[in-house]
Amino acid sequence: MRHYSPASTDTVLGTLLEEPSIARGVVHHATIASRPGRYSELPPWLDERIRTGLASRGIEQLYRHQALAVEAIRAGEDVVVVTPTASGKSLCYSLPILQAVADDPSARALCLFPTKALGHDQVAEFSALSAASGLAISTATYDGDTPAPIRSAIRTAGQVVATNPDMLHAAILPHHTKWFQLFEQLRIIVVDELHTYRGVFGSHVANVLRRLLRLCDHYGSRPVIVCCSATIANPAELARTLTGRPARLVDENGAPSGDRHVLLVDPPLLEASTGVRASALTLSQRWALPFLRAGRQTIVFGRSRTAVELLLTGLREALREGFGPRSRVRGYRAGYLPTERRAIERGLRDGEVLGVVATNALELGVDIGQLDVSVLAGYPGSVAATWQQFGRAGRRQETSVAVLVATAAPVDQYVIHHPEFLLSGSPEEARLDPDNLHVLLGHLKAATFELPFRPGETFGSGTADELLAFLAEEGHVRQAADGRWYWSSENFPASAISLRTAAQENVVIIDTTPDRPQAIGEVDLFAAQTLVHEGAIYLHESAQFHVDRLDWDERKAYVRRVDVDHYTQADRAVTLKPLDVFGRDAVAGGARLHGEVMVASLASIYKKLKFLTNENLGWGRIHLPEIELQTTAYWLAGEGLTGWRRTELDVALLGAGRAIQTVASVLLMVDPHDLGLVTQVRSPHEEAPTIYLYETVPGGVGLSERLFARHDHLIAGASALIGGCPCDAGCPACTGPRLEPDLDAKGLAARLLGELGAPEVLTAG
Amino acid sequence: MSPTIATSVPLERRLANFRATRGEAGWGRLSLPRPGGLAERIAAALGGEMVRGQTGTFIRIEAAVEHLPLDRTGLARLPGHPGEDVPLLCLDTETTGLGTATGTVVFLVGLGWWEGPSFRRVQLVLPDHADEPAFLNALRDLIPSGAWLVTYNGRAFDWPLLVTRYRLDRRPPPISAGHLDLLPFIRRVFRHRLPDARLRTVEVALLGGYRHGDVESWQIPAIYIDMLRGGPVEPLRAVARHNVEDVRSLARLLAYSARLGDPVGRAAAERGDLAGLARGYARERRQAEALACLDAALAGDEQSPAWPSAREDRTSRLERQRLLAERAWTLRRLGQFDEAIASWRDLAHEGGPLVPLALIELAKGLEWRQRDPAGALRATDQAGSLADRARQLGRPLPLLEREVSRRRRRLLARLARQNRHLVGSQAG
Repeated sequence: MRHYSPASTDTVLGTLLEEPSIARGVVHHATIASRPGRYSELPPWLDERIRTGLASRGIEQLYRHQALAVEAIRAGEDVVVVTPTASGKSLCYSLPILQAVADDPSARALCLFPTKALGHDQVAEFSALSAASGLAISTATYDGDTPAPIRSAIRTAGQVVATNPDMLHAAILPHHTKWFQLFEQLRIIVVDELHTYRGVFGSHVANVLRRLLRLCDHYGSRPVIVCCSATIANPAELARTLTGRPARLVDENGAPSGDRHVLLVDPPLLEASTGVRASALTLSQRWALPFLRAGRQTIVFGRSRTAVELLLTGLREALREGFGPRSRVRGYRAGYLPTERRAIERGLRDGEVLGVVATNALELGVDIGQLDVSVLAGYPGSVAATWQQFGRAGRRQETSVAVLVATAAPVDQYVIHHPEFLLSGSPEEARLDPDNLHVLLGHLKAATFELPFRPGETFGSGTADELLAFLAEEGHVRQAADGRWYWSSENFPASAISLRTAAQENVVIIDTTPDRPQAIGEVDLFAAQTLVHEGAIYLHESAQFHVDRLDWDERKAYVRRVDVDHYTQADRAVTLKPLDVFGRDAVAGGARLHGEVMVASLASIYKKLKFLTNENLGWGRIHLPEIELQTTAYWLAGEGLTGWRRTELDVALLGAGRAIQTVASVLLMVDPHDLGLVTQVRSPHEEAPTIYLYETVPGGVGLSERLFARHDHLIAGASALIGGCPCDAGCPACTGPRLEPDLDAKGLAARLLGELGAPEVLTAG
Repeated sequence: MSPTIATSVPLERRLANFRATRGEAGWGRLSLPRPGGLAERIAAALGGEMVRGQTGTFIRIEAAVEHLPLDRTGLARLPGHPGEDVPLLCLDTETTGLGTATGTVVFLVGLGWWEGPSFRRVQLVLPDHADEPAFLNALRDLIPSGAWLVTYNGRAFDWPLLVTRYRLDRRPPPISAGHLDLLPFIRRVFRHRLPDARLRTVEVALLGGYRHGDVESWQIPAIYIDMLRGGPVEPLRAVARHNVEDVRSLARLLAYSARLGDPVGRAAAERGDLAGLARGYARERRQAEALACLDAALAGDEQSPAWPSAREDRTSRLERQRLLAERAWTLRRLGQFDEAIASWRDLAHEGGPLVPLALIELAKGLEWRQRDPAGALRATDQAGSLADRARQLGRPLPLLEREVSRRRRRLLARLARQNRHLVGSQAG
């Protein structure tokens, strides 16, 4: 294929699939038929000026979901809007805000975006619409970059304020009296990209919202909350947990779309015994090139900065050979200057840029218009993220193509061999636990600082008195003669809370690359053991950093920016002891349990693994003290297992545990590192063979209880993962790296899962 | 069916487990019984009167009335200061922290005002968080709406924090007619003899006298919080004393500054103070008064000792030249251009580090005010040769060089235009 004549997306796809070497790798090919748009009239109550503004931007009617959302918000209902990328979600909240301010100029709105860039983008869009409507609405982003003189103007006069959870937590809520105009007149709160508020971050944000709503109550306002989310299994439930209030679900997408092809592609297996596969990057390039040559706008997603650079170089090289449109292919990732990024976004919208290679920096709602083809080099970690990246391709009328190229990683392999995961409704649940005590108590302090608690006042799921009494014992608050609880310390509690970690004792990561070293992040102690030990490669915003020095006593890790082709993985030696059993239930082969556990962890060794192929490149030692972690766990006690040889049982437990861990991380939308695995041939607590999955976050974020509830799915999923793997006797993609070469890990794990009640699976191996 | 996400395990059980693992840390010792009759004990310890109201109790302390006359006429002449008839209210707070965020409480306010030449001081003390409404009410009653507040750094700290307290109670903050924060004025006028601008430093440097046994500011929050938790009341005495001294210092600083407002009285003031005061007037575009201050400063110079050491002489000469430059600028702002030009010329003749500046300013004046481009060019060339010499000595003055070359080019062009017919006729 060396022709550069423009061709339709359909034609290029047809030609590609005729090539046997390409076609062989396609595991699944689904076609989603085109769908006409479903429209509604603009609501009759809409202000004439807003109508004019919409008309000037070519909007004469609304999509169905927009109309439903707008009417519900008008009626004072909380709403959660769940529709695909680029279906006009932001109009669902912009219209009600515009209308509220048109009705009453003193009305205020607060918009929360998870990232700064997104906030700026949405503010620009909103300002354009309000200007077109002739409504002079003061709209501003309030974040770390906002200059001090402008801040006070925003506090008193900003009608629509866009910010992020961190800023709300540390700068707005503790100073709420300076924002009283906003709080008194707050009508609408927007929580965009709802699905990103999960795990520890979500648990924190839920508490930040509790504090926000408590202050609204104090100032006598009752704002409507509008959440927008990518497709997940439990959006309404997530919104409810996050905001503490029920929300009406709007998920009937009314935006039109052309035919869409979804292809799941697996690079060829090079070695059945180790599970080594060909590079996903090379294959992704092969898929992207013909489309670029035919002049179809294509986006390629890489999982890391390095992957992006490799893909970009590869594509440009290939296009140069035949004098192709090389200069029209651009890179896009964190670390590019904002102006550079804006230029690329504009180029994509007007067609000047033909291809772009991006990290997930382009996954969230930055507006780049609609492209023809989206190629994902590796599973981005969740079904929701996959669809957000797929969604970048999708013309209103014409055909679009989305390709997911798997890597050899277990989760990737599991997902592409179970196409129903991606295609028939998302199975992913976003989990958070706002009542994690490590998180909750911190925010309770901040809330008391902001406003004293009345006796019997609720905070989240119950009354706060008992927790406040606990804080009083620690000397942070006191109950005064009037029975109310007051902050009684000189400290500023919000500054002690980082929204990204659960515990307060964290290791600060300091980047020494620039002339003035700067802190780029924090990790809790438990994660620090394996993420920022000396010699580790730490990934931050898709960039790689080498950890030069870890000062454990000072809780500081000094890192330096590097570009290497590998990552590191540390092994922990873990002992686990159950403290309290919250739930227990008999299942096939034994019992499932969940409860609180104490984990003692010692990291002593790490491996260097090559990106994409996971080849082992070497190892190093870690010199760190043992640490304890109190957290929650789900476990499985095989009380009914009989007739196993001890060595075989050991291998079977570990293999099955690895597969369960993989499936669990897919189901609960978490990073595989968020769940730790411990297997015991004979657990002292259960007196039976046991598989423990514990949460690596202090106190847990509610994953364990859900794993307990979804036990059957886990067993069946793990069994299917192992059964469907083409390896001989276990590989990193299913049962994990083989430790006992003579034993059939795959067969043993399958047998164990069978005894634990897994349905019969056809094996592909 | 939609299961709730938050775990169904009751919070109490989780708290019990949480407490169990933290128990070893030895917490719990701070859980002291709530002390009864705290307000009475504070009143007794501080020699104040307990005032019980519907919304709570507070303690009111009257300090001894002091004879502290204030020259209001002089004060009113100072830049940024209130007029003669405006009532003044000195205010200083003690708080549970340094920020102005909502969790910081004002537990003591010291107020001071004049009744004739007598200075009266009253302090209000908050005995418990719960009594804050009564405390804030009482404070509001003591702030007359027509008065100006007098504080030290109160614009950034004391007042915003009090506003926060009223807003938190959902009440509008008290209204005052104005706010005189002494910090910026003191810093501007007296900075030449202050190592820093903390009130304590200012007291020592300007008013004399050092407070012995005074409590350190950073200790204050802990003293109050400790008392609320059942600690002793007595340490609060030192805090109240510290506060009442601060209020007294505000009054004395006003009296000290007022002296500078009297055109006759200020003659004895230090030269640096007068220069600072001139800056203060200039900021308010009160140029004539700025000029008077500069003249007074320069006049005072003539009375300085006859044979100072060489080093002192050099610094005091530079200081005097700076004042002269300042004076020349002030003259220009007043529209007295010829006098300004004459001053620059004098300064240029005197020699010293300000000569290049004087020459450039002279060139500006000659070119634009006296329409004498040839004279301006001469001055510019003189400045240019100074710049050349500086470069030869290895201490180049790039800013001056740029300024000279630009000005020179323009002046030459202007001269060329002026002489065009002459040049033309010569060529013809």
